Amino acid sequence: MTHARARAGAPGAQFLDPKVLARIDNLELLARTVVDGFLNGLHRAPYLGLSMDFAEHRAYVPGDDTRHLDWRLFARTDRHYVKQYEAETNANVMALIDVSASMSYGSDPEGVTKLDYARYLTACLLHFSRGQRDRVGIATFDDDIREYVPCSARNLDRALHVLARAEAGRSGDLYPALLKAAERVGRRGIVIVVSDFYEPVDRAMEALRLLRGRGHDLAVFRIMDPAELALPFDDPTNFEDLETGEQMPVIPKKLKEGYDALVEGHIRELEERCTAERMDHVLLDSSQPLDMALFRYLTIREKKARVR
Amino acid sequence: MPLGFLVPLFLVGLAGIVVPIVVHLTRKQRAKVIRFPSLMFLEKVPYTAESRRRIHHWFLLALRALALALLALAFARPFLQDEAAGALAGSGPTEHVVLLDRSYSMAIEDRWATALDAARDAVGGLGPLDRVSLVLFDQSAAAAVRSASGPERIRSALDTVSITDRATRYGPAFKLAQTILEESELPGKSLTVVSDLQRGGWTGEEGIQLPEGTTVSMVVVGDTPPANVSLGDITLGRDRFQGAERVTPRARITRVGGDAELDVQVVLELDGRELQRRSVTLPPAGAVPVDFQPFTLSDRHTQGVVRVVPDGLPAAELLQDNARHFVLSPGRATGVLLLDPPGAGADASLHLRRALEVARGDGYRVDRSTGAVPGADQLAEVQVVILNDRPFPAGSEGERLRDFAAAGGGVVLVAGSRGGWSAETGASLPGTLGAVEDREEGQGGRLGYLNYDHPVFELFRGPRRGDFSVARFFRARSWQVPPHDSVSVLARFDDGSPALAERRVGAGRTLVWASTLDAFWTDLALQPVFVPFVHQLVRHASGRTDVLDAFTAGQILDVSDARAMETAGLGEVAEALAASEDRVALAPSGAGIELPAGAGPHFLELGEQGFYEIRPPGRNDVRPVAVAVNVDPAEGDLAPLDPQEVEASIRSGGGNVPAAGADTERAQELRLEDRERRQSLWRWLLAGAFLLLAAETVLSNRVSRGAGRTRTSAPQGAQG
Repeated sequence: MTHARARAGAPGAQFLDPKVLARIDNLELLARTVVDGFLNGLHRAPYLGLSMDFAEHRAYVPGDDTRHLDWRLFARTDRHYVKQYEAETNANVMALIDVSASMSYGSDPEGVTKLDYARYLTACLLHFSRGQRDRVGIATFDDDIREYVPCSARNLDRALHVLARAEAGRSGDLYPALLKAAERVGRRGIVIVVSDFYEPVDRAMEALRLLRGRGHDLAVFRIMDPAELALPFDDPTNFEDLETGEQMPVIPKKLKEGYDALVEGHIRELEERCTAERMDHVLLDSSQPLDMALFRYLTIREKKARVR
Repeated sequence: MPLGFLVPLFLVGLAGIVVPIVVHLTRKQRAKVIRFPSLMFLEKVPYTAESRRRIHHWFLLALRALALALLALAFARPFLQDEAAGALAGSGPTEHVVLLDRSYSMAIEDRWATALDAARDAVGGLGPLDRVSLVLFDQSAAAAVRSASGPERIRSALDTVSITDRATRYGPAFKLAQTILEESELPGKSLTVVSDLQRGGWTGEEGIQLPEGTTVSMVVVGDTPPANVSLGDITLGRDRFQGAERVTPRARITRVGGDAELDVQVVLELDGRELQRRSVTLPPAGAVPVDFQPFTLSDRHTQGVVRVVPDGLPAAELLQDNARHFVLSPGRATGVLLLDPPGAGADASLHLRRALEVARGDGYRVDRSTGAVPGADQLAEVQVVILNDRPFPAGSEGERLRDFAAAGGGVVLVAGSRGGWSAETGASLPGTLGAVEDREEGQGGRLGYLNYDHPVFELFRGPRRGDFSVARFFRARSWQVPPHDSVSVLARFDDGSPALAERRVGAGRTLVWASTLDAFWTDLALQPVFVPFVHQLVRHASGRTDVLDAFTAGQILDVSDARAMETAGLGEVAEALAASEDRVALAPSGAGIELPAGAGPHFLELGEQGFYEIRPPGRNDVRPVAVAVNVDPAEGDLAPLDPQEVEASIRSGGGNVPAAGADTERAQELRLEDRERRQSLWRWLLAGAFLLLAAETVLSNRVSRGAGRTRTSAPQGAQG
């Protein structure tokens, strides 16, 4: 099962539990701690050296920006070369974080909410990306864009600040939000969408296609609370929708099986359609460490490198 | 069983039974709410609503509905309306008074046991708010238990109460019952009389008026009066024979009822020893005198009994009235010093002396003298000095007479032609004597006014008890008696002038007779009233009273009253008490009664038939001073009284007829309210409701826990 697979940690990697991460207020410190630990644990991984550090010199041709001339090489060879690798190998990494009210859910009073988990995840990814010299940006949305930080090599701090102060409170609608995000994110790059995707699959795909259709590489991180996956309630209870406030009497034992099937089907359908449309879909359990997310992100970067 | 409601409006609350059902069917999910990210995957399941509409726990629902019903019924204040409950409730909280006759006539056969059972039955059906009093009565009445809230104290009192030796008088008992009922604030009032209902105890003038609405119940024990032999008053004739005083008892035996002659034995006992015995044949419903031989009376306080021997008497015989007790002491003749005029012949006071000599009983010891007033020592030997046709002396003689009178003696001045007193000595005598007045014309003067309330003339009060009007007075002294606190005119002639007047002097008195006590100035000495008049005059002057040979049970003797003690023959006891010497009285039952010296009042209640013996404490070796007590012979008349006559007499004008109109409705409401209050069914209903609610709480919790434990995943999907 997908969510069962999502709960499984990567073998050989020991990551900090989200409950521990929740004690770190500084997102930058949190991201550095997580990412450095992750990289140290992967010192034998085949992804090492896959970064875009390889410099490539091209002979200068008239019209090139003289600011890019490699003067040290000119001094050694007396030829003009232009350093091209930096400008071409760096990518824009834009993180779109769902801050709708449903993201504020956390079934474990001592654990983290989905938004917290999204916050840690995004911080780590942005820190990791910045370590790869990518330009990072961030946008928070519910049914609209709430905060927007464009991609820039210097915007990690701003992005982390936006992440830190992000609050969930309004109802969400993926399509108009991603539509506006697509309009703002001009240059093609990597777009990370972090949401719980409480949308019909069709409508969610329509929204994701807005980004995919503009040439972005999409990494879809779907965060779900364990309670959303397992519905571990017994007593007949009124369930209240965090976004709409609607209440509904529910006998969980009567609904559980159908609920599981619905959730499973929704997750599977979204994943399959994302895969079909060359989007990376990662289901994350908010009670599990961030290793799965980081691995999947590295996979995305590897694919991107090979494609390039 | 019909059920009534004091506040039926609260029965509307029975509609509350549907509340649990409605709540169960209509209320939304429990108050517990789980905030969930989205209800996208949840839906309302149709069968869930069906499950809610279906009642799973009928028992719990029944408990809730029943609890609400009980609450509504409790607030409606129900009460039972059946006859039994109505009888139990009666007319509301009731003040019950039970009058129990304990006179000695109740000792006949099983009357007393029957009366006790009747009294217990009378308090057997009391309600919780009723109050009950037990009044024990004979010739007096006392509340043994007053307004008690339960029958327990009554029953305890009935276990200890006993018959007395007293007669029956209904007046005090009904009066006490009337007081208790009038003071009660309870709406219902009930009087139960348990008695043999003797007619002798009812005069018809008791003046009893029970509160309106009082229910009167008469329980008559001993319907048929049995034949009874009773010993009436006995006369103890005294005379002197050869210097000794003799007593001749004469008794009268009365028989009530009976069909044939009855032979009985009558004995005379003195100091516990049988002295004489007589056989008497009693006719049916007749009376027979019994004469005993005279006996010599030598000892003081000789205790005598005339008794009908119970052998041979019917079983249903009232024994208490078959004996008469008496105490006799050798008589003390009243000493009289008769002072005739100096030089007068023996016939000067012939009629007077003869009159005093014929006295029976203690009699008079008359000393005649024509000389001067003797000295104080000789005066101390007499109780009365009669100055017959001689003036009240002046000087030292007059002083001695005044002192004699002031010390308690009596001076009788028979005016005659020479009687009188000077202004010096007039302070001890009433008014001023004037000249001799002749009433020789016509039939002479007569006595026109006699003070029959005075002891001198009290004996002549009734009809055919002596006619003074036949006596003629041809000569008398004119006499002015001005009003004075210490002076009273006891008799006047028909012209209004005083004939006899008295003046109190210290502890004694002086009396003046305006004529003579011979046959010269008046023919009074020839009239039948002369001798008793002289006796009464001298007796009164002496200050002495007759010593009673017996008292009647129930009388009370004032021990601190020397005169009363003298009358009772207990003068020496009074003297001892006055000398700060304590005495102890031993009742016939053996109970000791202390008679302490010192300031009184101290009373000796003579409640038992027999002899009360009085001795110094711890001195059983001395001959006791005794007082005889007899039962009231009137109690021996067992003729019954008609209960309806009593009821009609003691009920008020309205009787116990219910009030009319609005008062009736109000009384009815009061009865219903009282009935409801007495039954207090609402308490049980309320308690039942609370118990049901408690049970419902426990059961519902168990059901909920059980349901939680058995809850499993149900194969039911939902899409909303």
